[in-house]
Amino acid sequence: MNVEFDNSVVDKNRAQHKAVQVAIYVLLSILVLVYILPLLWIVMSAMKPNSDFKSTPWALPHDFSSLMDNFVFAWTKGHLGRATLNSFIVATVTLIISLVVGSMAAFAIARLRFKLSKLVLTYFMIGMMIPIHCVLFSLYTQFASWKLTNTLAGLIIPYVAFSLPITIYIMTGFFESIPNELFEAAVIDGCSVPRLFVTVGLPLAKTGFMVTGLMSFVNNWNELLFALVFISDDELKTLPVSLTKFVGPHSTNYTQMFAGIVIAVIPTIIVYSIFANQIVEGLTAGAVKG
Amino acid sequence: MDKLLRKKSNIILFLAPAFILFTAVLIVPIGTAFYYSLCDYKISETPKFVFLKNYITMFTSDADMKTAFKNSIFFMIFSCVTQLIFGLVLAALLTNIKRGRDFFKNVYYLPCVLSSAALGLLWYFIFHPKYGINKIMENLGLLNKASEGKQWLADTSGFIILPIVVISFVALWQYVGQSMMLYMAQISGISKDIYEAAAIDGCSKTQSFFRITLPLIKPMVATAMSLNAIGSLKFFDLIFSMLPESMRGVGGKAHVLATVIYDQGLRYSKYGYACSVGMVLLAMCLLVTFLINKFVKTESYDM
Repeated sequence: MNVEFDNSVVDKNRAQHKAVQVAIYVLLSILVLVYILPLLWIVMSAMKPNSDFKSTPWALPHDFSSLMDNFVFAWTKGHLGRATLNSFIVATVTLIISLVVGSMAAFAIARLRFKLSKLVLTYFMIGMMIPIHCVLFSLYTQFASWKLTNTLAGLIIPYVAFSLPITIYIMTGFFESIPNELFEAAVIDGCSVPRLFVTVGLPLAKTGFMVTGLMSFVNNWNELLFALVFISDDELKTLPVSLTKFVGPHSTNYTQMFAGIVIAVIPTIIVYSIFANQIVEGLTAGAVKG
Repeated sequence: MDKLLRKKSNIILFLAPAFILFTAVLIVPIGTAFYYSLCDYKISETPKFVFLKNYITMFTSDADMKTAFKNSIFFMIFSCVTQLIFGLVLAALLTNIKRGRDFFKNVYYLPCVLSSAALGLLWYFIFHPKYGINKIMENLGLLNKASEGKQWLADTSGFIILPIVVISFVALWQYVGQSMMLYMAQISGISKDIYEAAAIDGCSKTQSFFRITLPLIKPMVATAMSLNAIGSLKFFDLIFSMLPESMRGVGGKAHVLATVIYDQGLRYSKYGYACSVGMVLLAMCLLVTFLINKFVKTESYDM
């Protein structure tokens, strides 16, 4: 075996390796287009008058004076402004309640000492396997008799309950990972359990809050089925519902709908582009550990 | 310390809110839903116990349910298979590149966090007979007139109708990022030593993927598959926003289980029947999760 032969093999491998890398990048970039182009198309079309869209749906907008007209219409006349506010209220209140209630339970499961802690965790985990559709109408009739349908509270309560399993699961993991010494030190200083939770537990599980909070926000912002059934008053509809109604079978002004679609996805795209890594981490954390 | 953490009052204080809420809003309603599923229960009537009547109707004489079963099971199989393949391929490709991994990952994951209702409307226009894909084909000279092209979302011929196939591809587009992320998380947990040892023994990259990566991520395959299966069985948003009422309403060929529940409950106010369909959905989800975990999940290795 001589040295030259070895070199040529290495060179060949290197060239091959490079070609494979280039091929992978080309493939991945094409796929990026498949993901981005439809979104860009909608943004672009939303800036055009309807007649322009109908004649040349794939052309760039050319009338720059009316770029925002459709957005203004969708926001005001299409009730999407109101719907955005409703979605924001529902998603935020749900987020706060489910974080407080869920992290308290997670703290008890992870840190307080009782025999049934594993069983309690399993009990909450059942919630992750249940398709919420199967409780849709039993909850609906119950809530109707309590006069909770057609109120935002009537949406928030089930959303909190459905957010609890994943919140508890992830937060339990975070509380378990806090070193015991920190709690011991606080207890020796005379800290009560509720104070232990607030002063030691919460600050150290900040990442967990961030992750579960974002997840719960995104999920509830997008939820359609419950919002569709529980709310019939136009003034109280959430964004996904208003969007499907706004489009309706009789509407023919497509570009106004596109503006509506853009309005509906922009907040999540902004939140996502700021916190992408945390969201991704959170959404996978639950499944990875299981 | 120990005594403090064992104090019953604290445990109850911390657990009670979540426990009560979860039980009252999720567990108890499953019980009532099961009871209602055995009843004739229409709006403003009291439930009348009829035992298995709803289930018998559902399995024998309801044409919509037949369509729904067919479509939902198609969705489930399609999504389990395609998500497994594409999710794995994407994860394998992304773990093999050095630059821009986060960028690609975040782009592919993006649709998972966006509203399905909004994305459904978006894709509705991409598959619109006049304006979307057909218009591009017209511009490229592949079609004389856009409206002569395929009726992507209106064709109702065949065993599995075209709109269902189209929507299942849209669902793949939307959710493949989820599977990809799960597999990536698992792959990045595999120790580099194993790959190095294999490379020294003369193992190629392809070989190491099939011989090392695949066997080691098998537990994750089970998890991702169960998530896909449950997700596709309860599939609702995309169908609801992409298809007109005539396709997912009575006699519609694009019904899935969730649209039947919606229709029966909201449109006909037959709560009992809607609940019994919900129970079947629940049973299917539990059964599928059980089967996947039984047959796919093997012992997990220490990595």
